[in-house]
Amino acid sequence: MRKVEVAVVGAGPAGLTVASEIANRGGKVLILDENAKPGGQLFKQLHKFFGSSRHLAKERGFKIAQSLVQQAQEAGVEIWFDAIVIGIFEDRVLGVVHKGKLQKLQADRIVLATGASEKALAFPGWTLPGVMGAGAAQTMMNIHGILPGKRILMVGSGNVGLIVSYQLLQAGAKVEAVVEAAPKVGGYQVHADKIRRIGVPIYLSYTVKEAFGDSRVEGAILIQLDENGRPIAGTEREIAVDTVCLAVGLSPMAELTWVAGCQFTYINDLGGQVPLHNEAMATTVPGIYVAGDVAGIGEASSAIEEGRLAGIAIAADLGYLPNSEAEHLKEQTRKELDALRQGPVGGRVGQAKRALLDAHATYIARQAGREVKERAEATWTGSAPEAPRARAEVPSAERRAQGPVAVIECYEEIPCDPCEEACHQGAIFVGEPITSLPHLKAERCNGCGLCIPACPGLAIFVIDESYSEDEATIMLPYEFLPLPHKGMTVKALDLQGQLVGEARVLEVRNPKAYDCTPVIKIAVSKELSMTVRHIALDEPKERSTV
Amino acid sequence: MDKEVVICRCEEVTRAQIEEAIERGLCTPRDIKQWTRAGMGLCQGCTCRSLICQIVAEKLALEVSEVSPLTFRPPVRHIKLKELAGLGGNDK
Repeated sequence: MRKVEVAVVGAGPAGLTVASEIANRGGKVLILDENAKPGGQLFKQLHKFFGSSRHLAKERGFKIAQSLVQQAQEAGVEIWFDAIVIGIFEDRVLGVVHKGKLQKLQADRIVLATGASEKALAFPGWTLPGVMGAGAAQTMMNIHGILPGKRILMVGSGNVGLIVSYQLLQAGAKVEAVVEAAPKVGGYQVHADKIRRIGVPIYLSYTVKEAFGDSRVEGAILIQLDENGRPIAGTEREIAVDTVCLAVGLSPMAELTWVAGCQFTYINDLGGQVPLHNEAMATTVPGIYVAGDVAGIGEASSAIEEGRLAGIAIAADLGYLPNSEAEHLKEQTRKELDALRQGPVGGRVGQAKRALLDAHATYIARQAGREVKERAEATWTGSAPEAPRARAEVPSAERRAQGPVAVIECYEEIPCDPCEEACHQGAIFVGEPITSLPHLKAERCNGCGLCIPACPGLAIFVIDESYSEDEATIMLPYEFLPLPHKGMTVKALDLQGQLVGEARVLEVRNPKAYDCTPVIKIAVSKELSMTVRHIALDEPKERSTV
Repeated sequence: MDKEVVICRCEEVTRAQIEEAIERGLCTPRDIKQWTRAGMGLCQGCTCRSLICQIVAEKLALEVSEVSPLTFRPPVRHIKLKELAGLGGNDK
């Protein structure tokens, strides 16, 4: 039986980071991944990521994956692809099917970084061809180059639902509607705005009642929900679609964590059943660690930081790193994680993660025979952990009349700061913590527009109301093909995707540095300067019957 | 819901069958699996295990957190018998 020092299951952001952290300090690491390529789910992420400009921000997901793979390979990590781990047995023995053969590996330490799977929603017709997970649709489109359908209903408005909707639109499908059972959008407002201004309606307090069709989806029936989430009879609406994408959440893909004998607890905000772990990502089974989505659903940046935590802990444990240094590094990484876990989306995860750490501590104490006082169950109240900060302000009408100036439509606390870095004038300030809203010093802004393609949320516009007597110019990001060309007349759309007038294309900027986020400069009549936020080359077609 | 909804696609077990099992007094996903085969098919409950928990919670007026989920056991992925048979040979 082959022995390995550290076996990591899963070559996504968490697994690759764990492996690099250990291998860089001299440990021998083998990563096992059931896919043909490393990178986990990052490889199908075409959008620019939020984050700190110090590491990952504004990189597109697949590029982040490439750099993590490269780091691991440079660190000397061995990676097996098409390697299926079928079980974990006593003494940290893994059963692995690789190259058609089952083999046993014995590892000193095991890290389970197996990611997440999509949750299902059962309704009449959900087994019809054409109903699929949003992640599956994303794989078809972005990995295999196949458009899953032409007319889409997206169920769920979390970041997955919003991002996949946007990418379906980019790929040429029509997203007829996004439905959300909750009374508010689940994901970030900037992601919602990206699809709203294209004209995709987001129906809140709605769900899909039924999908119908003879041999595949031909339509769906939507129904409104009351404040208790119960369907309201008589509110049914029919919508013609050929594809229903389910983006109703993820749950930790924890089969191996279960068979390894780790203790679990149920935390809804982390995706359901999650393995107990401590601050160093160690589970309740000695020598077995978890990192990334399997340890509670989060996002790629925090998966990387969790991977780092586990890697540092294991390197120290195996004697590759002095304890004092490890403590210092862990503390730093925890601070990075805390910074990521703020704001309306991250804050919820942060609170749930604290509950998970508490549950682990309680379990360990009970095992040791110590009395533990029951803690009140932590419930997320929806308010930010800190006092709400001021909303991003809009430059005054007076300033707008003086010449081009950036308008930053970013109203939520997102761990993201590339706009600050992009501005050569020092006109945009984010500061600490990284979830602070960007503050524009309008007197310093010269309207150059470099911040527009740097914003992963595509939420920055440059307005110039001094352009002419009756026209203003707007510079906006436009990630669609075909691109308009100079001199063209296009439709001007508002934030809801409603046609509000015409626009003349003055300039199309698409240098390499913009990384496939072209910036279009248009002229519109002056009173529309704060209304127009998108353009369309064709007149938006009539929506279906909803 | 009047129309038939399949919950476990591998074993073609409907929501009505699972509800009936609960009405007969079965109250854990494990009991329901043994009675109806829901979650016992090729995918080993990858998709339906959480749906079964939800149905149990709904029918018995429990929180989903109070329902103990189906357990996992190796092999957690499908493999060919041929591959599995290779193990003994390697070991000896």
